[in-house]
Amino acid sequence: MPRAPATARPAARRPAPGRRDRNKQRTRDRIVAAALALFQSRGFEETTTRAIARRAKVAEGTVFNYFETKEDIALHFLELEVSHAIATVRSNRRLRRAPLEEKLFALLESQIDFLAPYERFIGAAFVQALKPASKLGWSRQAAELRTRYLAFVQELIEESLPRGKPSALAWFGPPAFWIYYLGVLLYWLHDTSAGKQQTLAFIDRSLKLGVAVLRKGVVK
Amino acid sequence: MKTPEGPTRRALRMAALTAGVTGSYVGYLAQHAFLGADARQKKLKAAHTRAAQRMTSEFLTLRGPAMKLGQTLSLQAGVLPEEMLRELATLQMSAPGMHPTLARAQFKAAMGKTPEELFKSFGPEPFAAASLGQVHHAVTREGIRVAVKIQYPGIRDAVANDFRWFRTVSRGAQLTKHLPAIVLAELEEQILAETDYAREADSLEYFRKRLAPLEFVTVPRIYRRYSGDGVLTMELLHGMHLDQWLAQRPSQRLRDTLGTRLVELFYFQLLEVQAFHADPHWGNYLFGKDGSIGLVDFGCVKHLLPEFVATLRAVYLYPGDRTGARFQELLDQRYSLHGRKLNPAAQKALSRFAENFYRTVYPPELSRDDEPFDFADDKFLKTYMRESANLAKSRCALPEYLMIARAETGLYATLHRLRARVHMSRIVRQHLAE
Repeated sequence: MPRAPATARPAARRPAPGRRDRNKQRTRDRIVAAALALFQSRGFEETTTRAIARRAKVAEGTVFNYFETKEDIALHFLELEVSHAIATVRSNRRLRRAPLEEKLFALLESQIDFLAPYERFIGAAFVQALKPASKLGWSRQAAELRTRYLAFVQELIEESLPRGKPSALAWFGPPAFWIYYLGVLLYWLHDTSAGKQQTLAFIDRSLKLGVAVLRKGVVK
Repeated sequence: MKTPEGPTRRALRMAALTAGVTGSYVGYLAQHAFLGADARQKKLKAAHTRAAQRMTSEFLTLRGPAMKLGQTLSLQAGVLPEEMLRELATLQMSAPGMHPTLARAQFKAAMGKTPEELFKSFGPEPFAAASLGQVHHAVTREGIRVAVKIQYPGIRDAVANDFRWFRTVSRGAQLTKHLPAIVLAELEEQILAETDYAREADSLEYFRKRLAPLEFVTVPRIYRRYSGDGVLTMELLHGMHLDQWLAQRPSQRLRDTLGTRLVELFYFQLLEVQAFHADPHWGNYLFGKDGSIGLVDFGCVKHLLPEFVATLRAVYLYPGDRTGARFQELLDQRYSLHGRKLNPAAQKALSRFAENFYRTVYPPELSRDDEPFDFADDKFLKTYMRESANLAKSRCALPEYLMIARAETGLYATLHRLRARVHMSRIVRQHLAE
């Protein structure tokens, strides 16, 4: 059984929610967990909101109270993924003094680790996101999520650079990283090596190379 | 793209390395005519250092067999200049490692759990590095201190790619039989075997049992529960690498003891166990203050056929004329095991080797068993390398030679660094008698 995404750590401390909020959160988690299990086992296209409701043991209307479409559920899952990855990097104190390559590696690795139980669904979501009308790729929420993610990447880059110096890495790094991230995802989806070891090697070497190239730009 | 750094890119890097190393000497040659003897010597040393630094840096980047090649070169004491050896020697113990996040991810990929989930404690920084992996301290749930070797991800493909490239660029040498295809295949098989940690675990257990009669040798225990594909957990051994050991200024007696033990270990493996630890680089040995020996890496092991070992026994300490018909017959028997015929050039090269090197280092006369051979003078190494080169030119290499030569070269290089005095014939004779 794939891990429920609700286990992701929150990005920041919030006041403890009341009982009603807790119940709502539980229902939302149940719907998301049911949807992910179905996306993974049946496929994204083939999964209906009725099936999700049945599996989550809620009425179909309740699903719509929380999410307009199944794409919204997928987006919510990706939001959890980003929160989990940011929290993982930030909660690791040793990483604060680590080189940029390692921080970026940790970010990508925690994302992949989070996505791993839903590999089939991620493959389908990737294709879905390329469609012009897809909420996953082109909606306001998707853009906000991308902005949040890349803002964090920018933060990691900036804290690794000498203060007050203009840098190609800070300017060019985040958009380049987004394209790179999509490439990593594709590589991971096609990696058939045991434990996806080829992906780890690919990320390690390409990050070393990429950061070195952009850093040279800084020196020049 | 299948691998992050493809064969073409690696080939280009190797080509750039050759050009760079050549370049290190061009500057020296240009100035050579205008310099006095002292200045010339200084410039030459600087050129050696530059060339070696470049080689070391590239070998470290390339990993895989390229790094193994670097390690083999660094054992060529007496042939390569001292400055170059010093630089290349850094390859023996240090390689650019995985950062802690990658090591942890690789551990999880191999074991399905993070090191923190599996061990009571785990050191995120490695304490030792090797060409194909790195080693971390850990404590098991049972409280046992262990060494955990983690393999760099995707190393097997990198090795296969390097050999694909090497096969292409060495086609000429293969056609002229300077580099026989079976020897290349043997090299690839051995280096690929080093990436197989399950096989290494079996070897460790095998040698731990078979080397038990040698009380001065320790082979670590394997913890299979904590080992998997790409992770090898073994008992933590204590000791010093050769440089550290020598820095303690050991007495001549202790250096002789250690040298004698290394030779005993070599011939015990070759003639009794009929299998040997064939990766002689200094990072694989841990020496105790009392001259004890810890063997920490059994990735490269060669098993010999009993028939082949019998042919070694027949020629070792051969008392008669080594250019004579009887000796040739014994060599012919060895080649016939591989269905090959020994050509006249090879016969001559082997006889010369036996006469010029082995007869000096291992005098066959029983009356000389009390004379230790002094390895301090590097003349013996130069003879060894010259005769090895002759043998290589005669194009008669057998697959077994490759690994025996690798182990033997490492042994002699270590004995030279120890400046040890060892009763070589006495040790060999003892095993021939048994």
